[in-house]
Amino acid sequence: MTTDLTLPNYLEQTSEVAARFERLRQRPVALEVSGLTKRFESSRNVVTALDNVSFSVHKRELLSVIGPSGCGKSTLVRILAGLETPTAGELRVYGEPVSGPGPDRGMVFQGYTLFPWRTVKENVMFGPRMAGRPAFTAESEAREWIELVGLSKFENAYPHQLSGGMKQRVAIARALANQPRVLFMDEPFGALDAQTRSQMQLYLLDIWKNVDITIVFITHDLDEAVFLSDRILVLDANPGRVREIVEVPVPRPRTPEQIFSPSFMAVRQHIDHLIHPPGQEQKEAPVLRHAISDPDVV
Amino acid sequence: MNRPDILKDWFLIRRDLPQSRRLGLTCVSFLLPIAVWCLVSYIPWIWHPDVKIELSAEREGVTTVFTAGDHISRGFFPEFVEAVRKENATVIAGRKSGTTEAGAKRKNQKLLRQLAPLAVSHDWLSYTDAQNDAVLYTLWRDIASGAKTTSKPALTAENLEIIRQNWALLSAASPEFSYSKLPDGSLLKLIPQGKPANPIYLPAPNEVISTGLRDFTAKVPAGELTMGERYKKSLGVIFMGFFWACLVGIPIGILCGVFDFFSKLFEPFVDFFRYMPAPTFSTLLVAVLLAGDAPKIALVFIGTVFQMILVVSKTTRLLDPSLLEAAQTLGAKPRQMITHVVIPGIMPNLYNDLRILLGWAWTWLVIAELIGVKSGLTEFIETQGRFRNFDRVFPIIILIGVTGFTMDQVLSWLHGIFFPWAGTSGPLSRGIVRALKWPVQALAASTARKNLVQP
Repeated sequence: MTTDLTLPNYLEQTSEVAARFERLRQRPVALEVSGLTKRFESSRNVVTALDNVSFSVHKRELLSVIGPSGCGKSTLVRILAGLETPTAGELRVYGEPVSGPGPDRGMVFQGYTLFPWRTVKENVMFGPRMAGRPAFTAESEAREWIELVGLSKFENAYPHQLSGGMKQRVAIARALANQPRVLFMDEPFGALDAQTRSQMQLYLLDIWKNVDITIVFITHDLDEAVFLSDRILVLDANPGRVREIVEVPVPRPRTPEQIFSPSFMAVRQHIDHLIHPPGQEQKEAPVLRHAISDPDVV
Repeated sequence: MNRPDILKDWFLIRRDLPQSRRLGLTCVSFLLPIAVWCLVSYIPWIWHPDVKIELSAEREGVTTVFTAGDHISRGFFPEFVEAVRKENATVIAGRKSGTTEAGAKRKNQKLLRQLAPLAVSHDWLSYTDAQNDAVLYTLWRDIASGAKTTSKPALTAENLEIIRQNWALLSAASPEFSYSKLPDGSLLKLIPQGKPANPIYLPAPNEVISTGLRDFTAKVPAGELTMGERYKKSLGVIFMGFFWACLVGIPIGILCGVFDFFSKLFEPFVDFFRYMPAPTFSTLLVAVLLAGDAPKIALVFIGTVFQMILVVSKTTRLLDPSLLEAAQTLGAKPRQMITHVVIPGIMPNLYNDLRILLGWAWTWLVIAELIGVKSGLTEFIETQGRFRNFDRVFPIIILIGVTGFTMDQVLSWLHGIFFPWAGTSGPLSRGIVRALKWPVQALAASTARKNLVQP
């Protein structure tokens, strides 16, 4: 990234932002990950996907996990959600050690994973019903969550009748209806087109503002991570290690215009350099073997 | 080159034709084979390798007897006709030389009866009178006098002449039938008549339709089954066999698809067992379950259940595993995952599997009905086939085909009603689903309101 602008140091925080982080650190720890290691062993070789990953997420925080592809982001979130078991390490939710999947940790997948045979409302009711709540309370609660994500008109529609963005909103409502203590989101907007994606990011911030929830957000999109998060956990690839946990100096509430603010660009550039170290770009221009017309257009 | 629009765009690679053309082609796909059948049956010069005898004759010293309705090859027919003519010539020669042989009464009586089948088919004679000599005698008289032939000429001029000559002899002896007064000397034989026909195994459509209608509406002697009852019996066997197969096969299949434990415990043996053809167990089944329907149902069961276990377990494994993961993160326990995710999730595919397996069950039905005491539609096919009454066999074959096809079409249409969420339903089935769901939803809404009011 070359720019003529002189960007401020990403560590510089306005007093407002600094005070905000101070308050955040004083809140209880919602999720504590210590020494998490995951090795995949096959007969030929051993692949270390995650190596001694430790971090903690405070209550009501929105933490993004970012890293180059293959750094084990998805493995990390799957372990956190209990869908895979770590080779070593421990996971605590509000101080209690947990293993295996459970309703205290919700998950939103990239592939929506809505139950196609259930209507929107029935999908949102799934968690409470599994927990043994009576149908009518689950139903009225589900209505509220559906209203929160703005899909009241579609509560009786089946997933195949919805667009990708709507499906993902249902998936968020479904996860929230379970009132989890931590919500994991595994590249939830990765399958959406750019416009829907930025719309969904605003939706998510809006929901997060109104719901008492801690979010761990996995993404490979830098702008998305900076735009949404309080802090960003940058992972190294091969093996997956914590490179740095970056505090985002952009004040809240976030608006799309902030993308062009110096603090936003500073932190973005810093993380970009962490993931793609400068000086490693391809220097030589590709040699073209065929003639092109109007070479001066470039 | 300017082709009219109707000829354009019929052959597009991997692209659907418009609805009207698709419908048209669907109709043609049924009409085409029927058209071929009609062409072969009704246009004599296309095939017709046989001659169907309408009027037969018995020959002297030849043991093979052809009766009306028999098929003989087209090459042999003229030979047959010539032989009869030669015999008539001998009779005439005998009369001229005066050496009339005696003792031909019995032969002459049979000769008079040869006319009966042709007369019946032309409504000159009722079916019940075919052996009634007195009525036949008057028929000969009427034909000789020309009363019958003027409206519907069915006899060749040669045969009419023979009838007149014979009647001259007969009427000289007696105006009415009397066995003792039949001429002692040989009468002239009627020259065989026939028309080109297809082999007996390919009856014409109209014959199949008329015999089919007759068989399905016929009253049967006490103790025998009408065709409707046979049909019901066959359906009973197939549905019982299929029902038991579902009862056993679906739960085992789902368990195998969900738990590796059951998969490894059952599937290897099932995989082996399905290569043993079900009919090989027929004698064993009859020995164990005795005669009656039980071994037949068991055969359909054996033929279906092993395939079913494998197909259902495969379908279960095809369920998107991320749905199970989602359910887990939503707090579903293992049993809830089976009842609330696996079972509803595989339903539409399971339904389609069962549709295909029901088609297989029909195949086993035919074999099942032949084991032990033959029964149902297959017994009828088997019996009539032995008598070479193929015009009675074809309606049954078509009936089985139509039943299977209709059932499959109906079930496939119902798919849209049962599984509106699969996204395959048309506007009609969607409407029906909405209509069916409405009272349930209204009821649920009213109870929900009550529950809200109470606290």
